[in-house]
Amino acid sequence: MAISSSFKSSPFLHCGPNAETDSLAILHLKRDLLIPTVLRSHDELNEGYSEGKVSNTRFGSFPHSTLIGVPWGSQVRASIVDTGSRGRKGWEGKGKKRKRDKESQAQDDVAGVEKKQKVEVESKAAVKAATGFVHLLPPTPEIWTASLPHRTQVVYTPDYSYILHRLRVTPGTVLIEAGAGSGSFTHAAARAVYNGHQNTNTEDSTQDSIMKRWGKVWSFEFHEQRAQKLQEEIEEHGLNGIVELTYRDVCQDGFTPNDTPASELKANAIFLDLPAPWLALKNLTRASPSSPLSPTTAIHLCTFSPCIEQVQRTITTLRTQGWTEIEMVEIAAHRIEVRRERVGLAEEGLRGVNDSPASVDEAIERLREVEGRSRIFRNEGNEGEEQATAPGPAQVSKQQRLENIRHALEGRKLYKEGRLIHRAEPEIKTHTSYLVFAILPRGWSEEDEELAQGKWPAKAEVKEENGGPISKRQKKKGAKTRAGGNKELEIEASMKA
Amino acid sequence: MKQELVQPHAYVALRLPSDSTIVVQVLPNTVSTISIGKYGAFQANNILGRPYHLTFEIRDSVTSDGKAQSGLRIVPAAELYADIKDEAPETPTEAEAGNLGASGDGVEYEIVGQNGEVVMRTNRRITDDPSSQIMTMDEIEALKAQSTGSGKELIAKILESHSALDQKTAFALAKYTLRKTKKYLRRFTVVPLDVATLARWILTDKEPMKIMELREEILSMIGSWSNVHCTPSVSTPSLDGEGMQTKGGRWLVVDETAGLLVAYMAEKMAILHPPDHNGEEAEGKVLSKQETDAVNGDDSIGNPATKHVVAPPPDHLRPRKTSGPGTTNTITLIHANAQPNLSLLKYFHFDAFNPSISHPLESHLKTLSWLQLLSPEDDMGCAEPEIVSEETIQSWKSGKRSNHFRKRRRWERINFVVDETRAGEFDGLIVASIMNPVSILRHTVPLLRGAAQVVVYSPTIEPLVELSDYYSTGRRTAFVTNPPDFNSMPTEDFPLNPTLLLAPTIQTARSRSWQVLPGRTHPLMTGRGGSEGYVFTATRVLPAEGKIEARGTFKRRKVDDGVTRNSSRQENAASGDSGSMEIDAS
Ligand SMILES: C[S@@+](CC[C@H](N)C(=O)[O-])C[C@H]1O[C@@H](n2cnc3c(N)ncnc32)[C@H](O)[C@@H]1O
Repeated sequence: MAISSSFKSSPFLHCGPNAETDSLAILHLKRDLLIPTVLRSHDELNEGYSEGKVSNTRFGSFPHSTLIGVPWGSQVRASIVDTGSRGRKGWEGKGKKRKRDKESQAQDDVAGVEKKQKVEVESKAAVKAATGFVHLLPPTPEIWTASLPHRTQVVYTPDYSYILHRLRVTPGTVLIEAGAGSGSFTHAAARAVYNGHQNTNTEDSTQDSIMKRWGKVWSFEFHEQRAQKLQEEIEEHGLNGIVELTYRDVCQDGFTPNDTPASELKANAIFLDLPAPWLALKNLTRASPSSPLSPTTAIHLCTFSPCIEQVQRTITTLRTQGWTEIEMVEIAAHRIEVRRERVGLAEEGLRGVNDSPASVDEAIERLREVEGRSRIFRNEGNEGEEQATAPGPAQVSKQQRLENIRHALEGRKLYKEGRLIHRAEPEIKTHTSYLVFAILPRGWSEEDEELAQGKWPAKAEVKEENGGPISKRQKKKGAKTRAGGNKELEIEASMKA
Repeated sequence: MKQELVQPHAYVALRLPSDSTIVVQVLPNTVSTISIGKYGAFQANNILGRPYHLTFEIRDSVTSDGKAQSGLRIVPAAELYADIKDEAPETPTEAEAGNLGASGDGVEYEIVGQNGEVVMRTNRRITDDPSSQIMTMDEIEALKAQSTGSGKELIAKILESHSALDQKTAFALAKYTLRKTKKYLRRFTVVPLDVATLARWILTDKEPMKIMELREEILSMIGSWSNVHCTPSVSTPSLDGEGMQTKGGRWLVVDETAGLLVAYMAEKMAILHPPDHNGEEAEGKVLSKQETDAVNGDDSIGNPATKHVVAPPPDHLRPRKTSGPGTTNTITLIHANAQPNLSLLKYFHFDAFNPSISHPLESHLKTLSWLQLLSPEDDMGCAEPEIVSEETIQSWKSGKRSNHFRKRRRWERINFVVDETRAGEFDGLIVASIMNPVSILRHTVPLLRGAAQVVVYSPTIEPLVELSDYYSTGRRTAFVTNPPDFNSMPTEDFPLNPTLLLAPTIQTARSRSWQVLPGRTHPLMTGRGGSEGYVFTATRVLPAEGKIEARGTFKRRKVDDGVTRNSSRQENAASGDSGSMEIDAS
């Protein structure tokens, strides 16, 4: 896949009003059916269509010439494209799954769409099709997480949202991440740390680079193909300079990126999505000469492990290495579907409804009818067996009834009928992983403390070391007037020494 | 970024042994003390200039041998966990080995065997008798009064005096110890009052209704789905060929959480902290021995050429260098009352009524009322103050003159904000309001650019269910098939234009906290009740003109068999596609 280096900015961080050539774009077919594709003004792979590059989907074909320059968020009609007799192989990937292993299936979700067959050479304008459309969206980390080619388990939106929140990742944070896996967390983290681009092109940019703490994601992955694939994506998504990926085993070899000494990272947040995070922790102490930790900030850490045993080992290790405020939580998230539920005899024969009686009255109505029918049946039953095969009056009336119901459908506004209900989506994730959080306070030596005491001497009767004590009474008084742990306390005393 | 060291005048959170939090402002050099209720009191100067996340212990004024001592002691991390006997890892570390000694005061109430196995006792023969606590409350008080320590000795004494102690099971004993610890340990941890801590404090300790019971899990989801982030101000050659600067990163918000949401967004957009309250700059300069790690404030985002060769001096306001009057990374707030309620912004040193010029929110936060947005001609503030001739102005007293200019400036600003807001093209919308979301979205969705994200928070689900119903697939199909007269909108059937939002979804999340201790790992047994909290998310889209017909398979209700991961869900996930049955009708 060709890598464009012409991005000024990532479409994840900034997108202009219109879809631009070489930008990653998302074709939204419907909820959870999202196809990422890189917009190309020409069929650079020279594989195919007279219209240039084309994305084929279940809902129609979309030559990129009909997407480029269109405002983001537009609903775009499908075009009539000769997909060729053999052109259906990679169609949409997700829809009709063939017997393929998961990995290549996942790859097809993205790449497969762009596979094309050679049809003719001269380029022509796209012709609108009668039906079919997609919505053209710029990528966001949420959309990417829902559409990315899975190479590993990934961290989904509810978890990464909470993790980034608890890690206090804000613009300017320097975050270490391992292992990068499929890059789901990576993209969300990149958006969160971003606070401007380091200009690597201009000569005199070095000064700025030193001065400003640029938000950055230092990412590590020890699986070679995964690392390679993610590196391609990072570049294609315009995230280079924000995400720095290194192919390395962080447990064995620590957190030293390519080309950068670990001591220059000065990370203040860490996310470990590894099978044995406790093995990586030894490389995340302040003591180590190749420590990637910022010496002047507190470090926020999160580990993400599916099993409780992993959590216990991690926490045991954290306790011995100076980490504090250790907490463990799980996140349970689910979506809720909203629909209109229609119940009743009037729905008989329709789909997506419950056509049993909606009320006692309807039940009685139905019972009376059945009662009446069987009375006829009993009366006539004595007369012979042909009754069973001949269409009885009851059956005719049912057919008629269904016909009537179907007819009546035309005039009904089903979208506002029935009862408006909500319920959890059919399948909910009850467990993703356990999230362990911890904080390593900034190192604080005795000299540091002495300096601070010099700068902020204790006041009044309390003097350094050998001064008088705060009187008990005073303390009591303070406690009395301000007691109650829930109240916000403000000291209103004068600022004078 | 936040400060790393406690700065004068900063608001900080103090986490107490009881797990409750209090918030105090740290005023420097004052004689009066900061009280943490029954745990004691200390001087602000004792925590100033110290790093956050340290745990302090309030020392008694007199040591056991009668010598006076002062203030606070920093509790080393190892000591914090000294009472927990973790099973030894394969290779015990020094810290682990040192733990036993670290508690130092000879208190022994470990309940787990040397090599990690729990010394199990059963509670069959223990009677639950309050009299088994032999010390009376008075005795405990007396002991407290003469106590010279941190509370640890006291706890040990209480435990010793508990006659049934030997009978307690390990589990119960651990719980008992924990309870006593929470009650008597005189420790606190200083935590920076960032938006997350503020949100948690108000929810659990202060006034949950003030922030509409917004939990952190939900708040963080709002952050993600709204896509709110720091946006580069890129000068891109626009498609029409003129090299104009692109506007970007403009979010619209309806915030009735007293400004929590605005603060949260501002933090993510790097406009919450004034440069001198910015950790990037402050870091490392309070103590001169720390390496100076000077960095620019966030205001330099739009201005990469700015250089700071020397870190600016601490505790001094610098004039803000703006990259123009807020064209990128801006928040536009629409409020229901004459004035917005942004009271929580005071914790970030921003006063909406009297904004300091040095605070980035001064130019990046814009506010207007619903009246100003929808009917500016009816708003007094939007009416132009009369234009007075130069001579007349000169003849006025200076007070009247400056009053005149102030009025005109205010009018210019509000007019600018109104025009700009009505011109729309916002990158996203976040709503947390007790008003009906239908009425809010009716007026705000049209102000969004294509692909803008919409997030609506509600403490209860009902308003969002109603909202989703108005955007259901069935309703949208009916709308497209038989469009109502545009001028008659909103109609009874279509209170909102259902074609403007894509993939409306309701979701919720909840965290569950665990206790992780050797042999005693389990979820915490109580949590916060009250409102669950939900978010509605959707994407603003630009519907194609003219009739448009769907293609494909969604006439079939059947779930595609090959689809495993997400797609099986999509057929009937929240409102957007839940209406597939209705489509059959059209
Ligand atoms: C579950 S995946 C991470 C998924 C990722 N967080 C995401 O959201 O897409 C775990 C990854 O860690 C990598 N990994 C495991 N041990 C590692 C180590 N010691 N060093 C670096 N990477 C490692 C694995 O190759 C795998 O790709």
